[in-house]
Parts: sequence; structure tokens; C-alpha cells
Amino acid sequence: MKAVILSAGEGARMGPFTASEPKVMIPVGNRPILEYVVKALVENGVQDLVLVVGYHRERILSHFQDGKAYGARISYVTQSKQLGTAHALLGARTHVDGRFLVLNGSNMIDAHFVEDLLAHADGPAVMITQSDRPRAYGVASVKGKRLVGITEKPTEVISNLINAGAYALDASIFPEIERLAADGKHDLPGAVSALAGSADVAAARTEGMWVDALYPWDLLRLNAAALQSVPDVRSGTIEPSVTIRGRVSIGEGCTIRSGAYFQGPLALGPGCEIGPHAVILPSTSLGKNVRIGALTTVANSILMDDVSLGPGSVVQDSVVGSGATARAGLLAASGAGDVQIEGEWHAVPQIGALIGEDVEIGNGASLACGTVVGTRARVADGARLRGTIPAHAVVL
Amino acid sequence: MCGIVGYTGQRKALPILLDSLKRLEYRGYDSAGVAIVGSALQVHKDKGFITDLEARLPALEGTTGLAHTRWATHGPPSQVNAHPHVDCSGRIALAHNGIIENFQALHETLEAKGHTFRSQTDTESLVHLIEDHYRGDLEAAVREALREVHGSYAIAAVCADEPGLVVGARNESPLVVGIGPDENFLASDVPALLRHTDQVVYMMDGEMVVLTPSSVLLKDLEGKAITREPERIAWNLEDAEKGGFEHFMLKEIFEQPKAIHETLLGRVANLDVDGFFAEGFTSVKLVACGTSYHAAMIGKYVLEEISRVPTSAELASEYRYAHAPAERPLVILLSQSGETADTLGAAREAKRRGCRTLAICNVVGSTLTREADKTIYTRAGPEIGVAATKTFLTQVVALYLIALRLGLDRGTLGYEEADRLKDELRSLPRAVQAVLGQSKFLEALAEKYGDAKDMFYIGRHVNYPVAMEGALKIKEISYCHAEAYAAGELKHGPLALLTASTPVVAVAVRDHTYEKMRSNLGEVNARGAPILAIASEGDRELAKIVDDVVHVPAMSGVFNPVAVTVALQLFAYHVAKKRGCPIDKPRNLAKSVTVE
Repeated sequence: MKAVILSAGEGARMGPFTASEPKVMIPVGNRPILEYVVKALVENGVQDLVLVVGYHRERILSHFQDGKAYGARISYVTQSKQLGTAHALLGARTHVDGRFLVLNGSNMIDAHFVEDLLAHADGPAVMITQSDRPRAYGVASVKGKRLVGITEKPTEVISNLINAGAYALDASIFPEIERLAADGKHDLPGAVSALAGSADVAAARTEGMWVDALYPWDLLRLNAAALQSVPDVRSGTIEPSVTIRGRVSIGEGCTIRSGAYFQGPLALGPGCEIGPHAVILPSTSLGKNVRIGALTTVANSILMDDVSLGPGSVVQDSVVGSGATARAGLLAASGAGDVQIEGEWHAVPQIGALIGEDVEIGNGASLACGTVVGTRARVADGARLRGTIPAHAVVL
Repeated sequence: MCGIVGYTGQRKALPILLDSLKRLEYRGYDSAGVAIVGSALQVHKDKGFITDLEARLPALEGTTGLAHTRWATHGPPSQVNAHPHVDCSGRIALAHNGIIENFQALHETLEAKGHTFRSQTDTESLVHLIEDHYRGDLEAAVREALREVHGSYAIAAVCADEPGLVVGARNESPLVVGIGPDENFLASDVPALLRHTDQVVYMMDGEMVVLTPSSVLLKDLEGKAITREPERIAWNLEDAEKGGFEHFMLKEIFEQPKAIHETLLGRVANLDVDGFFAEGFTSVKLVACGTSYHAAMIGKYVLEEISRVPTSAELASEYRYAHAPAERPLVILLSQSGETADTLGAAREAKRRGCRTLAICNVVGSTLTREADKTIYTRAGPEIGVAATKTFLTQVVALYLIALRLGLDRGTLGYEEADRLKDELRSLPRAVQAVLGQSKFLEALAEKYGDAKDMFYIGRHVNYPVAMEGALKIKEISYCHAEAYAAGELKHGPLALLTASTPVVAVAVRDHTYEKMRSNLGEVNARGAPILAIASEGDRELAKIVDDVVHVPAMSGVFNPVAVTVALQLFAYHVAKKRGCPIDKPRNLAKSVTVE
């Protein structure tokens, strides 16, 4: 069976982390979210994958190539305008025949999830899951084991059953998509709802993993989930009197200086340089070529590739984008904070800072809980920031 | 350069040979041919593409054979000159890569003995020579023939009377043996073998190999057996596939952040060279060809600025003609493949002059790495596009690492300054990523400037070789004439060539050359030539005097070439695409030039 993975979207709500890569390529546990989807499919013997790509497609192509490294055969379909998920699937029409799966590339899933979807292989099916914030999703109405319909982002809470964005479909979906497209609608849940009006669509349930990231702070949940299965690996140079507790994966060519204290689960990518007496606490992922200065503490955070934190810094519950650098004494400690994303305010109980790609921060900057620093912004020595700093801004 | 593949095993040889041969296409070729030993010896060959040959081939039975792609050196591309060549009786077939230097003399002697020649190639004299020695034992005949031959060669030979046997030999041209279960392979390069096996034995100069389906015997030219353990190849076949990209070149351009990460991996904190740089020389000479020579020129500025060691860059093909000065510099040789004939020649010459040699190379186990005293691998992974991209940038990055180590070992670089340089080094993958994000913009610029018949590239100091590399990329893949000048040289001649239809691509990033570049651009502007400038992020001045500006992340001084080069690569790629050129296999060019 083939699977179509929708991976074309930008993910604008991910704030500064999708400036140069699509949402599906954001790393959690040092692997792009999409890689977990590919892996879950391959483990169930679904090896023929069609990736619908669009926004910064080259990042996906460069990473997955023809899929052999992941045990898959991947072909790519480019959706140049991201009109909607149904439109994306339509682009992959000539690549599928018979029954096929459709998955969202930005939801982290495991093999168990795919297995439960495959169990409904005899007719159209949609995977339903429970959510504590159903209003952010399409809420599913279900009668017995049958789908009645999907209501997108309802204003009132009807139920806590939501559409997990994973389907088993066949060619019967395409006429529905075309009918909706004629009305200017391009969403796949709409087409599946319409299909449920004329045919039996099973409502599949699963005990498997399904973790979605709507907002950047959700990435920390995905990261923690991913690190649950991190292997215990030691490579590179580990100087004497380094303490390592719990499961910690240290990549090739890393240098860990004396006195560093690691509490797993942690993942360190290749080529990291961790200064003397640095403290890294769970659940933290450091990408490739990350530098942590002496006496710096990092807890429950994602530091993507090429990040550099100067000595004497504190970073907790934070996400730091690729290439961001901070000189000595950065303070991004955790607490309750209000964060503005796409014009909307969110109260987040525990958050440090969200620092975008290639941001440059001078010495001794202090970031209030929930500060968002836009891509390539430059922050001067001693700055005290709160709220949202736009991309390319210069903060004096 | 020519490519050779050979097979003997249980399966039908033809499809395996053709598939393997296609994986050597990147070496460049103009003719292709195949010889299969079945009930008789059957040879099919012609000029043109492998696919053309394949389309015309009848189904050939037989589980032993060889195939060849030819890149013309002696005699033009044609059906008769294509390999494999056969002897008078049509029983022995030979494929050859390299040059037989005494072929004229052999030709005359053999003709006098009654052998009939069909082609103008040096190779044909060797197959007749083998025939002359043949007494029912191909291995012995090849060995005796090779004793009479001068020159460079990698060969594969089969004989109709000895099915299930392939004999190979190497001298100064690459040849690798692939080992499988009940089948064995021979090839000029590893990609040809990857689909079938990851166990290979690299052959050395003066060695022969005798392959049967169940055995591989390595021998010297005296017939003495040599034992060498096979090596396992870490490259995967998928590394050599395009993976959704339209061309290998574009795929490889986009792989550069990853490639640079690999080059830097574990080396920024400490490039381990066992004290190689500590003493024994007072200057450095960088020697290379083509794109690698541009890396060498950049290296000159890098080594002089960071490590304060007098450094010069020289073309490998010219190095041997320079009279050796009294002092003995450290000679650093740069070659992607490690098989570049001119660079190998220079390495041998450097050794003869008593210099220590360091190789910067991408291919593990290649000839250069075996001959140099020490090697730093660039770890760029396989590069299939003929135009070098990621292998060039990783060479430059390796030179930064060397400069850093050299400066620290010789005490010319302070620790604080070294720390600052390490920060710059570690930021390179991000700088490259930032330029890749502008691929669409560069495509639009290529659309605008891509119809030009001539282009000029200018830069100063370390950006001069960058301009040369940018111009070379344009020439190689888009067949547009492009010329690079040190910007200060413009007024000494080339200014006369500028018109409204000769775009000038200027590298004008913020460094100590910026002010002078600006006045040069003023001169160009006054002649009405359109200007495309590569500038540092945040530069708003240049836009006033040039037509278009591509912004790259601001770096300090000698680190600028990396990001700028990526912009020029993408520009060249999109110009070539607009002009409909065969980007991965430009006409007349070969990936690794294994003839001098």
C-alpha cells in the first residue's frame, strides 16, 4: 500500500521556526517531525511514499532524498500554491491507485498508530483521537464506529473527539474533492465529511502515539516524547569528571569538557562542544555543531543546529532556532508567560523564550518568560526584552 | 575520463555491465562499448550515449564481460576508435583507460609481424601485443605484454577461449575490484559497484588482478601473489541518486550545509595532525587544478592572514616546470578525486624535491592519499555533477581548519583570536543555508542576465579567486563565455570590452576592499554595463550604483568566499537551466581528469 504524506505547508503558527524550513522539518529529539511519520509507516511495511512538498521543498528533498536510507521509496509531488490539504492530495492522484493512506507530515506518530489505521483497510476510514483543546481542530461526530461528519474549529465544544488528520482512502475521494474545489473549498476533512454522507467512513481509534504541535511551545512536548526512546550513545571526546545520568545520546565528534553534568533523557547531535561545568537537564535536544559555554544551564529545551550559547547563561523551557547565537550571560528562565502568535495571545504556564533562526544576542541580555525573538533579529548587550521582537529588528 | 567495468559471475553480464557503466557517466565520455564472452566473443560499440548503444544491442547471453566509456585522447570519437578493442582473431577484447606512451613503436613492430590495425588508438596496439603473447593463458599474455608497455593504464581483458575470466591491471589510472558472492567486479570507480557490493579492493600501481566468479587473485607484474584485505565502502547507492532534485548539481548545492558540518565535525576544537605543522618548513605551496586551484588561491590568502606563513598557489600542471628554490615548502595538494593526473605528478615532484606533502582529498584510499605524507579528508560525500560544488566549498573549509591549526602550532595566532575564528567557522553552515533560501531570487536574476553572450566577474583579494570560480561555473555548465578579473585590473584593458550587453558580476562584500570595489563599480557603471553585485547583508549603498544586489550573511574577511560562492553557484545553475544545457554532463568535460 502507498501513503501520501502532506508536507507542503509553512506552519505560520510556528512563529520564527519556519522562516527557512517547513514545519515538518522542525527537529524534535534531533530528527525532523516528518522522519517519525516515515519511520512509523516503514515499520508497518508501507514503503512506497508520496511526499507532497511546497514551502522550502529543498529542505525535505535534501534530507530524505529517494528514501532508501529510511527503508522507503519516496517520490515527490510539488504543490506550488498551498491552497489546502484536499488540493495537495489531488496533486498526488496519479501516484496512487487502489487504497492508500493519507497522513499529515507534522503530527508525530508511532508504528502503533499506523497499525490501527491499517486495521481499517476494507473501506474509507479516518483516525479519531481525543484532545484537550478540540476547538483548535476539526471535531468529529461519530455514530457507533461510523463517521458522521467533521466540523472545523467549532466555536462551541461539541465533543473532545477530533480528526487526527490520518485517513485510509481510495479513488472515491477524488470526485468529492473536485466537487468541493468547484465551490472554492480545498480542505480534505470537508471532502471526507462529504464522502461520509454517501458512503460508510469508519471512525478508527488508536492507543498509539499522536502528538501535534500547534504552537512553538508544543514542540517541547514532542521533544520530550521523542526523547523517551533516545538510545544511550557515547562518542566524541568526553573529558574526565563529566557526570552522565539517565539515557544520553552523544553524537560523533562532540567535545564534553570537565565538570559537565548531564541528566537524561538528552540528545546531542554531532560536533557539539559543551563547556566546563555546563548543566544540561531533561528533556533537551541539542542539534549539530551546538556550543554551550562554561557554567551554562539548559533545561527542557530544543537548541537546533549551530546554536551557540555563551558562558554563564540560563535557558529553560525554550526553543532556539538554527544558527542563533548569544554571548555571555543570557537569561531565558522559565515561568508563566503570555505569548503572541499570529496576532493572538496565549497564556502559557511554563515557558522560557522562543528565539528564532540566526538571531544574534549580545552580552547579558535578559528575556522575560514568553518572549519571542524574530528571525535574524540583533539584540544589543544588556537588553531586557519582553513580548514579540519582529524579524530582522535591531534592538539597542 | 574513460570508465571501465568488468563482470564475471552466475548472472547475465550485459544488464549488470550497462547499469554499472551508467554510474560512471559522470566521468564524461563520447563513446561506449561492451564485450560479452558467451559461446563466442561479441563486441558492440559506437560513439554516443550508453542508452543509444543499449537500444541497438541484441540480447547477448554470457556471464562474463567488460564495458567501457571513452573520452577521446588519441583519435576522434568514432565507432572504430571506441572500446573494447579486439585482436586480429577476434578472440581477445580489451578496454583501457590512460595513455600508452610507446604505442607508435609497438604499432610499427606489430604491424611488421603481420597484425592488422583498425583504429587510431593507442589501446589497439596493446590488444595486438597481448595476442602476440597469447599461448592459451590470458593472464600470462597480459603480464608479458605489460612489461613492454610504457605509460598509464587501467585495463580489463577477456578472451573467448577462457570464459569466466577477467584480467585487470593498473598503472597510474584508477581501478577497483568489487567482491560479491559467486561473482566479482572490476570498475574505474566505486559508484559503479555500489548496487552489487560494498566490499572492494583498491588496486595499486603495477598490480594485476585475475577474476573468476569464485576467486580474486591480486598479483604483481612478476606474477607474485599479493594479499590485501577488502575494504568496506561506507557510501550508499542512494548517495548517488538525485532524490527529487532536477539535477545532481542542484542536489549537491543544497547539500553544502550538511557537507560543511561533516568537514568541521570534531575538528574545530582540535584538528588532529600529529604535530605535522610544528616545524620543518618556512612557507607553504598549494598545488591543484581547475576548481581545486581556485580553492588553493583562496587558501593562499587564508593561510597568510590567519597563520602568517608565506604561501603561494600553483597550478599542478605548471608546478613541475618551476625551478625548485633552495627552501622546501610544505606542499599541500588539493584534488577531489585524488586521481587527478597532474596533481599526482606534482605530488611526486614535490617528494622528489624533498618537500613534505599534505593532501586535501574527498575520496578515501585514492592514489593521492596513499602517496602524500598526510591527508585531510573533506568528507563531502560523492559528487556526481561534473561541475564541482560541495567538494570545492569543503576544500575551502579544510583550508580554514589547516590555517587555524598552523597558526596555533607555530604561535602566530593567539588563543582569543583563534576562538573568534572558530565562531566564524562554526557559523558557515548557517551562512550557506541563508543563501540557499534565495534560490528563487537568483533564478529571477538568471532569467534577467542569462541571455548574455559574455559576462565579466570581478573581485579583489580573497574574492578574486571567488570571482574566478563563479566564472568557471558559468563557462562549464551554461556555455556562456565568462571572464574573471581582479577588479583593479579592469582599467588595464577589459574596460574596453564593456557594453550594455556584457553584465558584470561583482563580489563587493564588506571587507577592506569594499571602498575600492565601489569605485571600480563606478567605472563599470559609467560604461553602461549592467551590474549584479554580491554584497553583505545590511548594505544599502551598493543598490544606488548597481542594477541588482544579492545579499549574503556578513562574515569577517577571509570567511566571505563560502557564502558568496553559493550565490554564484546558484546563479550559474539557473543560467544553465534557462539556456537548456545538460547541467550534470557538460560537453567535452570529465569529472576527474586522469590524463595529463
